[in-house]
Amino acid sequence: MVKLTIDYKEIQVEDGATILDAAVKAGISIPTLCHNEELSPAGACRVCAVEVATDKGPITVASCNYPVADGMVVSTRSEMALKARKLALEMLLAQSPHSEKITKLALDAGLDAPRFSLKGDECVLCRLCVRTCQEVVGLNAITFIAQGLNRDNKEACVEWDADKCIACGSCAFICPTKAVTLCDNVDTRVIQTPNTKMEFKMKACTKCGAYYAPEKQLEYMAKTAKLPIEKFDLCMDCRD
Amino acid sequence: MSSVVFSSWEGQVVDNRSGQHAASAASDIKVPLKYGDSDVAAFISWDGLVLADKKVSVVALVKAYIAEAAKLACGECSMGYRGLAVLADILGRICGGKGQPGDVDLLLDLAQNIQKNVKCDFCANAVIPLKDALRNYREAFEKATSGNEVIPNIDYIKKVTAPCQEACPIHQDVPGYLELVRNRRNTEALKLIRRTNCLPCVTGRTCVAFCEKNCVRGDIDAPLSIRALKRVPADMGIIQPQPFDKGAREDKVAIVGAGPAGLSAANYLARLGYQVQIFDEQPTSGGMTFAGIPSYRLPRNVLALEIEHITSLDILMHPDLRIRHVEDLQKRFKAVLVATGAHQSRDNGIDNWNADYDTLMEGVSFLRDISCGKAIAPKNQVLVVGGGNTAIDCARTAKRLGCKDVTIVYRRGRHEMPARDEEVKAAEEEGIKFQFLAVPTKIHSQNSRVVGAECIRMELGEPDASGRRKPVPMKNSEFTMSADMVLTAIGEVPDTSFLDGALELTSWNSVKADKNGVTVVPWLFAAGDCVSGPASVVEAMAAGKRAAESIHAYISNNKKLSSELALDGVLHDLSLSRRRRGPKLPSTKRLHPRELPPDERVQGFDEAEECFNVQVAAREAGRCLRCYRVMLIVKGQG
Repeated sequence: MVKLTIDYKEIQVEDGATILDAAVKAGISIPTLCHNEELSPAGACRVCAVEVATDKGPITVASCNYPVADGMVVSTRSEMALKARKLALEMLLAQSPHSEKITKLALDAGLDAPRFSLKGDECVLCRLCVRTCQEVVGLNAITFIAQGLNRDNKEACVEWDADKCIACGSCAFICPTKAVTLCDNVDTRVIQTPNTKMEFKMKACTKCGAYYAPEKQLEYMAKTAKLPIEKFDLCMDCRD
Repeated sequence: MSSVVFSSWEGQVVDNRSGQHAASAASDIKVPLKYGDSDVAAFISWDGLVLADKKVSVVALVKAYIAEAAKLACGECSMGYRGLAVLADILGRICGGKGQPGDVDLLLDLAQNIQKNVKCDFCANAVIPLKDALRNYREAFEKATSGNEVIPNIDYIKKVTAPCQEACPIHQDVPGYLELVRNRRNTEALKLIRRTNCLPCVTGRTCVAFCEKNCVRGDIDAPLSIRALKRVPADMGIIQPQPFDKGAREDKVAIVGAGPAGLSAANYLARLGYQVQIFDEQPTSGGMTFAGIPSYRLPRNVLALEIEHITSLDILMHPDLRIRHVEDLQKRFKAVLVATGAHQSRDNGIDNWNADYDTLMEGVSFLRDISCGKAIAPKNQVLVVGGGNTAIDCARTAKRLGCKDVTIVYRRGRHEMPARDEEVKAAEEEGIKFQFLAVPTKIHSQNSRVVGAECIRMELGEPDASGRRKPVPMKNSEFTMSADMVLTAIGEVPDTSFLDGALELTSWNSVKADKNGVTVVPWLFAAGDCVSGPASVVEAMAAGKRAAESIHAYISNNKKLSSELALDGVLHDLSLSRRRRGPKLPSTKRLHPRELPPDERVQGFDEAEECFNVQVAAREAGRCLRCYRVMLIVKGQG
């Protein structure tokens, strides 16, 4: 066990926990955007910034991926922490001015409008979709392409592999900025991402005829459950 | 850079704008003075900016630098990625004559806070020269912001590197491929690796990994497992060989030696379109990678596939053919590269050494025999003399043959051993014994059979030329070790007899050539171990590549120094530091690929180390700090 102090409160947590884990345990709230307890931390958005005292003076770190240490002194509401959080939100808001989630976080941080604007789509590269696809769905249909030298891509982005995608829609569900959207048009599911539009066939219920799920998703479910595909022929309403 | 006007290099501000300390500056600042033959007018990079010419606009210089840095920000955190884009944007509008009131303060505020709050080192370092410029040239920025004048762009030369990349003899884009591995984009990672490395499977298994020694993570917790990570995309490429473009030229080039230096040179020359032919006296290609590296470290089929990948570029192979006289090749080829390696053992100085005994062998011959499939009966007690990688390979191979008792006898101590630490540890795990500070002086034999070796104990004296303490024999310390086989691995020298004196040799029989493989004979080039003496695979590959460039320059009659080589000079002056100015980072654990347990490994010659799986590789690669350094050089008039 590790003992640390967050906002003058003494907390004991397991070794290997993050500052955010410790804060949650102590009932101290830290705003987050790219964090999800089901997923590995990314440290992408920097919204969860907190101040940590070190022998060389205070520093700010992302609480979602910074591990606790014995005797650590953390402040979630110091001037330095708030300033870091505000700047992180300023970057996000400039990129995605229409995101309700980001707008609300920004307002909470006392930020009305960013001092600058940014070009491009609404994707803030939080990679919630990437991690959900890899870690929850268990596929590698969405990958992050970093910007770098001698690459095929010009800018950092998130790429969908339509062949691997099963159209489950988890990415659209988890996206905080609606940069990925999902729309079911009767027999077709359309997933729109910042750089691709993908269409998937929906499966009609063999009893009532209603379209109820993408065919590729049902195939994937049948395969992972090791069941014959016919087991997935009926919609939820027609199943016993 | 005759005199420095201003420098903030390494955080040390030298301000000589008033011109009063004209003489002092340049010599104290560790920055490049020359780019090829030109003076450097200005220089900007991760550790500050330096101006030698007052006429260079600091605002335009910083704008260009931030714009270049912004192109390299990865996007892992929006603070760095978007932050640099915003900075580039603001600087762009200032230089475009469209600056807004408050822009200078906004820049400074953003730069300071981006530096403190980014995820890794790249963007944190990138803003350092901007901060230095804003603090020391504030009036220039204010003037540019308030005026409506357009500040013209400046011409510059860009170089991007990293401490790991600089340490690597073939300068691979290590942060680049690690990032792709981290993001599970291994196909692209391999493409990137292949740009500079034609033997990724070989180096992914056996490289001495200079990069890891210069990994900045090493100062925080432990260097990344870069070598093992490279193997992940490399091994995928074995299954799916990638074709690459090939030009077409008439000129023929001969390469003598199919080791890593020759193969690397052949790869580059063939890609430039030359008609390349490789001659090797051995039936199997690979040079020391075949003969000297045992198959438990580098399976033969992996090596063969990798070489096939290179020779598929229409390279004509002449195995099993010893060139007797190099002059013979001159008639048929425009240029000849000597890349024959170092395979001859040095005189071991051991009395009663009878080379006719098959139980008294040079280590390299022993390894070559095993590699060629020759059966060697297991012995009871084997002594291996030496402390380098060859000695370890001999000992571990002997163990795998079923030899009961294997002891490495080394004249220095454990710390002085030139062998890779992980190899030494693996040998220890496999039950190989070590006799340090001793050297065999005489072989004892009975009835034509080796029964032991007389040894003498050593102590360490003053450091020698290599910086290691020189072993000195202790008087009356002789002792006998029983043995029925003795192998020597005390270093090899090149066999240069086929040169017929065409080239000058050094005192230890290696070929005299400069680091670009150029010799005194215009059509004759040399690279690899035959020049350097026994070195690593990756150093041989680098030498082969440089020689290929020299051959190309010679045949195409292009005397101009390539920008790469000019920059090498710049970087040499700079001594790329590992010093971090990035955010404080928590300590992480280095992940290692799994290995077969020692008792299983010694049962045979199966590959001991496994390849990381994609998920674990992504996690380990995620430890990379991406210590890219961007540098811009503005050339002076001179």
